[in-house]
Amino acid sequence: MNRRRLLQGLSFSMLAAKLSGTSSLYGQAAEPQPQPARTFSPNDRIQVGFIGPGSRGQELIRQLLRTPGVEIAAQCDVYEPRFAEVNELVGKNVPAHKDYRELLDRKDLDVIYIATPPVFHASYSIAAMKGGRPVYCEKTIGFTPEDCTNVVEAARKTGQIFQVGHQMRYASWIVESVNRVRKGDIGEPTHVYGYWHRSDNWRREVPNPSLEHLMNWRLYRESSGGLLEELGSHHIDIANWVFGEQPQTLLGTSSIAVYHDGRTVGDNVQAVLGYSKGRRMFFSSLTDNGLMADQVWVYGTEGSLQITLADATFYKRTSKMITEASHSDVVQKGVETGASYNADSAMPYRGPGHRVNMKRDEDPTLTACKSFMECVRNKQQPFANVDVGFRSAIACSVGRQAMYEGREAKIPQLTA
Amino acid sequence: MIGATLNTVTQLYCTTHPAMGTEYSLYLYAPSREQAAAIAKPVFEEVDCVDALLSNYRPDSELSRINREAFHHEVTTDPEVFRFLATCLAWSERSQGAFDISVGKLMKVWKFFGASGALPSPEEIAAAREHVGWKKIRLDPEQRTVRFLTAEIELDPGGIGKGYAVDRSVKALRAKGVSAALLSAGSSTIYAMGSPPGEAGWKVRVPSPHPGGGTISTVVLRDTSLSTANLSEKNFVHEGQFYGAIMNPGTLQPVRGMLQVTVISNSATDSDALSNALFVSGPEDQAALLGEQDCALVIREQIRESETQAAPKYEAIRWPSEVAQRHLTELPTTKEKVKL
Repeated sequence: MNRRRLLQGLSFSMLAAKLSGTSSLYGQAAEPQPQPARTFSPNDRIQVGFIGPGSRGQELIRQLLRTPGVEIAAQCDVYEPRFAEVNELVGKNVPAHKDYRELLDRKDLDVIYIATPPVFHASYSIAAMKGGRPVYCEKTIGFTPEDCTNVVEAARKTGQIFQVGHQMRYASWIVESVNRVRKGDIGEPTHVYGYWHRSDNWRREVPNPSLEHLMNWRLYRESSGGLLEELGSHHIDIANWVFGEQPQTLLGTSSIAVYHDGRTVGDNVQAVLGYSKGRRMFFSSLTDNGLMADQVWVYGTEGSLQITLADATFYKRTSKMITEASHSDVVQKGVETGASYNADSAMPYRGPGHRVNMKRDEDPTLTACKSFMECVRNKQQPFANVDVGFRSAIACSVGRQAMYEGREAKIPQLTA
Repeated sequence: MIGATLNTVTQLYCTTHPAMGTEYSLYLYAPSREQAAAIAKPVFEEVDCVDALLSNYRPDSELSRINREAFHHEVTTDPEVFRFLATCLAWSERSQGAFDISVGKLMKVWKFFGASGALPSPEEIAAAREHVGWKKIRLDPEQRTVRFLTAEIELDPGGIGKGYAVDRSVKALRAKGVSAALLSAGSSTIYAMGSPPGEAGWKVRVPSPHPGGGTISTVVLRDTSLSTANLSEKNFVHEGQFYGAIMNPGTLQPVRGMLQVTVISNSATDSDALSNALFVSGPEDQAALLGEQDCALVIREQIRESETQAAPKYEAIRWPSEVAQRHLTELPTTKEKVKL
């Protein structure tokens, strides 16, 4: 779908324009020449311009407030009640803008955080990078395939620091586990199974029906990739990390099983992603769930790994070492007969497993924010860089459309 | 606007939510079950949010991060947590240390953390002294940082966290336009908002600290909070001596001689902190701690060593309701009881 057409069809874009009294949000940003990134001395406080302080955005702001040497210096949202919420959270009045270009025009901002609905991620990120600012952008980096490519191109062209909000890459127990898998701890990893099951309607309460599409943008196809994009992209990123590459294909399905409330994205989704050498990733998300909501399993030729939001556990086939001494008297004494059932042997992988000795400590989003600021000060590219962002976003973007059309998607590869 | 004043027929709904090691209950009037659920959802989200900030059982809470790092370096925290800590220290100062969130280490030494308690050795108790004390917490408002001056300080929000969560939730209820509701944090802190239709307020019964002792007083509350501190939750008996999970930071021992303190105050954070501060502080300090509007009902252990010198069984400070003394006469001493 052509981006222009997409935006024209976006019902909340019109609403947003009404709210801001201008349609400028959807116009093309001015394209200033790339500027060199600012150099910081250790005592300099990094001034953050924040675009899109909704629920996830405010969580990011809270973590930024816990990051040393950082000031929330400007905020931007089309929904004005957010401004007071941010001021309350930050404990002071943060200069507010309703047009993101006004915020980007300010000369006092060092970095830009973007936590808007994903349809705006690409254009805002590109404008910010072209304006000479490092960007921290929530996943996914783009809504359409063109978005994803354009963000990578802009990051490469400007050389700007760009970090995507795949904060699971900053969770100590996940980093440790994936590193162990990549070193061969469970042999060759062949499958990644992720499920992230919700236990609610995924709906935000709306103060006024006219705000439905603005507040519940996650529920409508024009503005949301649904559960695959909003939740699955994190798990796809873990699979990409484990396999060391991006997926080549996606075959998926989605339906509305419970919430026939006017939403146009599914309330459940199942997707199979193909990687090289026949390796597979499976993702499932649905709404009715009473147990652990979020798990990723990595299956390898010599064992399995379970990752949750709190910890990680390795399970391995338990085989005992056979020694000379243990069977040397068999010929003389013979073997004993008896009952054969041993509960522990019913399943080769059954057992308590080995917990990764690194449990959840600080919130991974805080670690991600601290790491981003360190990159900004040291002029380094982050671990969750633009390429990482591309590899999950492109699968969601291309895959979403193929799912709607009931075909397998071929996923464009990131070019060097 | 949803509440008693609405013309639509409303009904009383109760929604519960597990958090902070207890169950929160929200009673409110709504036209339908769905609307009651819609109101309750963001209210309990507030509770969960406070849990994520302050839980000392969750390693990823902000308080746990501060506990881990604040001795090693200044910890930058968000304004809300900073204000919360400043409030805690203000209560410590006001109560001359009777209220103290730095008792975390003590709770662990006495095995009250995640368990119901056990007697430590005198050496263990003495060793804990270095790791307890609100004056060893430094807050820098300029930098919004927290620093511990000695190692192994552990903040425990037990004496104030539920009250804080209730206050935040009440704010969310008011923002929803709710005019009549009762929120209870596992019964130890309660906020009464408005009143049920045709009533002067929400009735709250204060029980005897002795099981089966019935109600000793019923108060009617409207737009105010009530908190109770007693030892019924976590306790143990060693050699006939009863030990409960409210610590005296001065003696490094569980408080003795006190059975129950109930405080009424406009803020749930204050009533929670006050009920615990009064529980710890000596009788002479108690009245001075209360604000002008605050009320308290303090129940002490009876001293029966001399029949002629029976200590007061209870003290009511501006308590707005009658107290049924007859239920208190049967209170045993802690030496006699096996379990409260």
